[in-house]
Amino acid sequence: MNITQILFWLLSVTALFGAMMVVTSRNPVYSVLWLILTFFSISGHYILLNAQFLAIVNIIVYAGAIMVLFLFVIMLMNLNKNAEPTRGRWIKFAGAISGGCLLLVLVAALRSTEVSSKSVQVGVGEIGLIKNLGRELFTNYVVPFEISSILFLSAMIGAVVIGKKD
Amino acid sequence: MNALIISAILGVIMMFSGILLKQKSGVRGIAIGGLVLVLLSNVLEMNGTHFFNVNLHGMMEFDHFSLLFVSVIIGAMLFYFILSARDMEKVGGYYAEYFALLFFILCGIVLVTSFKSLLILFLGIEIISIPLYILTGSDKRNLKSNEASLKYLLTGSFSTGLMLMGIALIYGATGTFDVAKMKLGLSEQPELLAIAGMLLLLFSMSFKVSAAPFHFWTPDVYDGAPTVFTAFMATIVKAAVFIGFIRLFGDTFGGMAPKWQFWVAVLAAATLFIGNITAVFQQSVKRMLAYSSIAQAGFMLLALFAMNQDAREGILLYSVAYSLATIGIFAVLGRMNDYTFEGFNGLARRQPLVAAVLTICLLSLAGIPLTAGFLAKFYMLKAAMAAGTQFWLVIFAVLMAAVSVYYYFRVIQAMYFKEGEANVTVSAGFKTALVVLAALIIVLGVAPELILYWLYF
Repeated sequence: MNITQILFWLLSVTALFGAMMVVTSRNPVYSVLWLILTFFSISGHYILLNAQFLAIVNIIVYAGAIMVLFLFVIMLMNLNKNAEPTRGRWIKFAGAISGGCLLLVLVAALRSTEVSSKSVQVGVGEIGLIKNLGRELFTNYVVPFEISSILFLSAMIGAVVIGKKD
Repeated sequence: MNALIISAILGVIMMFSGILLKQKSGVRGIAIGGLVLVLLSNVLEMNGTHFFNVNLHGMMEFDHFSLLFVSVIIGAMLFYFILSARDMEKVGGYYAEYFALLFFILCGIVLVTSFKSLLILFLGIEIISIPLYILTGSDKRNLKSNEASLKYLLTGSFSTGLMLMGIALIYGATGTFDVAKMKLGLSEQPELLAIAGMLLLLFSMSFKVSAAPFHFWTPDVYDGAPTVFTAFMATIVKAAVFIGFIRLFGDTFGGMAPKWQFWVAVLAAATLFIGNITAVFQQSVKRMLAYSSIAQAGFMLLALFAMNQDAREGILLYSVAYSLATIGIFAVLGRMNDYTFEGFNGLARRQPLVAAVLTICLLSLAGIPLTAGFLAKFYMLKAAMAAGTQFWLVIFAVLMAAVSVYYYFRVIQAMYFKEGEANVTVSAGFKTALVVLAALIIVLGVAPELILYWLYF
């Protein structure tokens, strides 16, 4: 077992443990903090795949900006008490069954997939470097890139329409 | 491409018109004029005139079907603007911004109808959804509108998440976003990863078109949103997302049809059943129309199930028939004071013309012969028959169409055979537009070739 493999297992265990704690924590603030840990370990995975740009964006945008937003919302709404609404037993039952079914399908699908033949070059691949990413984005994917500006523009208008005082 | 770029530019123009123009009629004039321009440019593109030469890298394909559909949608939107644009003034103070958002939604519609890459489909769905969340909550002082907006945002984001997951799984299975390069369903061994992705996409698209059992958001959102925007959501957006749905399953998953066809049939049957049966018990016409839109989605799912030439013709005709009739009803409903069935009592006495047009729209929705709705339903059933399997679905659909007659006729009965004080204030222009709408429904009911001809032109 070389260092990459040890790191991989370490990061995977951290990510899964963090994700479990996000769901099971009673206090929403703890959930957000665990989520930040999950994002950091996923960023570690990106670095292992030699995707440094993705890793750093993941930390800046998700662990940084979005999580801070989450914390603010939770604190503003005063949700840090254990104010979890109680749900009926049947709802929980139905949720567990349907979630379990989805898990079953996904595990079955992933188990039989041959990843080894199609995997991205680990360690040597340069596809995740910022230079290659930028070139792809502005040549092959320039149309969706430009179109997404419409999406952001409409979201901005929405923020004004919803947020501005009459 | 013409329609996409011009409507995006128009969205920006509408934003600025709100600052520069003081009169609301000016804003409205620009919006209607701009929409006519989009329609013209799109019709020109059908004849081979491209204003913009963009290297799309195969991510979109503006074939005849999608261009024709976009033209039809813009036509329906023009009716919607003429009939209902005045009512948007009552919603809130951001008149020009509402138009800007509607034009951006039109961009999303063009993307969804002509995507060749799952990336574009995702962008299109999001460009449609995000302005809709905002428009749903645009009546800020109304608690119901706020609630509807929040509900729509949460459930909509969840289904978008499912969709993204599905696209990611399909990317994992095929290594491409490109629909043409995927070649799913050709290999001998089952592609389990792709099937899991397909299921997630099926769920999320069913959510977006409000097919049962993914319809729970629909009544609350349609009821809570301002009536003008409900009209837009329930007609134009729904029809467009349906085209995206059909393109997705026809092009991308066409090879895997045996795996999903039966489940789409079950989905269609469940949607027809829940939509129609629940609509019977509604007391508010607006809520009844929400359930009726679920029921009509069930009929449109028949096209997805059949996926043949009849289905392509049928979905086109169905989109027109359903959109026109529903736009007409919502335009009148938006001017009523009382949204219950009793609120329509005696409307025929005071406004005979409006009542007559409403009757034609309702008959079309119910699928009575000589209206466009009848032929649309007929084409759908024919397509489902031609598919060759699951005959029970055809019989079930006919039965459910019979159920739908009950709740549509309740409105007609209230207008003509009950005494009441119902009244609406309508201008001469509004009346003219309504008459043109009703005439179009009848003309298409007699001669559907007028639209279908262009499919083969």
